[in-house]
Amino acid sequence: MTDGPVAVITGAASGIGAACARMLRAAGWRTAGLDLNESDTDLPVRLDVTDAGLVRAAVDAAADRFGQLDLMVTAAGYYEEGIDVAVITRAQWDRMLAVILGGTVNAFKAALPHLLRRGSGGLIAISSELALAGSATDLHYVAAKGAVLGLVKSLALEVAHTGIRVNAVAPGPTDTPLLAPDSLWREPGYLATLPLRRLVTPQEVASTVCYLATEGSMYCGEVLSPNAGAVI
Amino acid sequence: MGDSMVALVTGAAGGVGGVAARRLAADGHRVAVNDIAGEERLRELAEQVGGVAVPGDIADPDAATAMVAKVAEALGPVQVLVANAAAMAMSPFLDADPAQWWRQVEVNLSGHFRLIQAVVPGMRVLGHGRIIVIASGWGVIGHQNATAYAASKSGLIALTKGLGRELGPDGILANALAPAFIDTEQLLVDAKDAGISLEEMRQRYRDLVPVRRLATTDDIAAAISFLAGPGSTGFVGQVLQPTGGVTRTRA
Repeated sequence: MTDGPVAVITGAASGIGAACARMLRAAGWRTAGLDLNESDTDLPVRLDVTDAGLVRAAVDAAADRFGQLDLMVTAAGYYEEGIDVAVITRAQWDRMLAVILGGTVNAFKAALPHLLRRGSGGLIAISSELALAGSATDLHYVAAKGAVLGLVKSLALEVAHTGIRVNAVAPGPTDTPLLAPDSLWREPGYLATLPLRRLVTPQEVASTVCYLATEGSMYCGEVLSPNAGAVI
Repeated sequence: MGDSMVALVTGAAGGVGGVAARRLAADGHRVAVNDIAGEERLRELAEQVGGVAVPGDIADPDAATAMVAKVAEALGPVQVLVANAAAMAMSPFLDADPAQWWRQVEVNLSGHFRLIQAVVPGMRVLGHGRIIVIASGWGVIGHQNATAYAASKSGLIALTKGLGRELGPDGILANALAPAFIDTEQLLVDAKDAGISLEEMRQRYRDLVPVRRLATTDDIAAAISFLAGPGSTGFVGQVLQPTGGVTRTRA
């Protein structure tokens, strides 16, 4: 365990981020978790991912503590359901972009120098199936998740020759605390439209991240979408 | 690892198919291997992976049913189908020989259509199954002088998506892989066609790939292992592209 690869995971305290941390640890990785809340990782750091300075300090501390960095997974985010474009406030828009897009940029910028030093490693952003297909509501969330895909595809090409891989995982609606108990995505009528007839599990997203991180060195700017058939 | 399943790999005498068969066996699956050629190689492979060889031409309309029955008898009903066998012939579109056009469509598309028809009833009874279609980056972006091959592989991608929708509710997960340049014996053919050495051919392809390397057969086998394994249960109707970025950057 003392010499396993090292991953930093944002949003590691719950949902998809927590599942990633758990699965990576079980596979022998050492983990640092960046989250507003305490995460069950080897190095939990409480912070807001919109603060670039704090993110950089935490990533540097993780690399220092473990002696290396191999993987950054950006799962930090939140969801506001059922908001039409006409009623999205400026503050709601700015905050969503700051957390999902800005948080991803902050984490990637902090991790990249460490990965470049080793000439290997991965950056994996958690996007959303909604960014592939669009959504009739919540367009601030969808726009932010879509912007993450543009970032991933471009950065992937920028660093392709260095040995570093940048990719995204775009899950379908996933059974996490981000989906309220009365969320429309949990309604039987919606689930019946999915080929798999169910929500995606956080573990199914984490196993995709683990595959990309361990055997995915030919993926460059790709978007893998475990989405239960929501987008085909 | 996950549960042991019965897997059938077509085109297993070649690079990707053979390595995939070994990987699936290493993952704990029981593996049947098919190919039209290299029967001795195929039997050796079957012996090494502790499985069974089912040689034959999948373009033969009667082959699928017989092949699947033979696998069922030896190992049990097919739970994982790796649709990998492929025919490829390159020529400018206007010079394309209709027989070669139909041969590529027959093997790549219709052969696997019949094979999938033959394995799905058994998967339905079991309530689960994986159909892993080896398509091609050329089926995504097309390629000059390979229109028949690209069309057949595009057809496979559409087939995969339709199957994902149709069979997903039965617990049968159909997904595709669309690789690009893989370091296999095909490079020898390409080098000969181009009148250059194998190493020059490798370098020419590497220069086209953003990550500056060719996929190894192990890379593709790992993707097949993922799609056959416990980690990919959220995937249906998807097309994974371990291409090193080439399919998004080539003009």
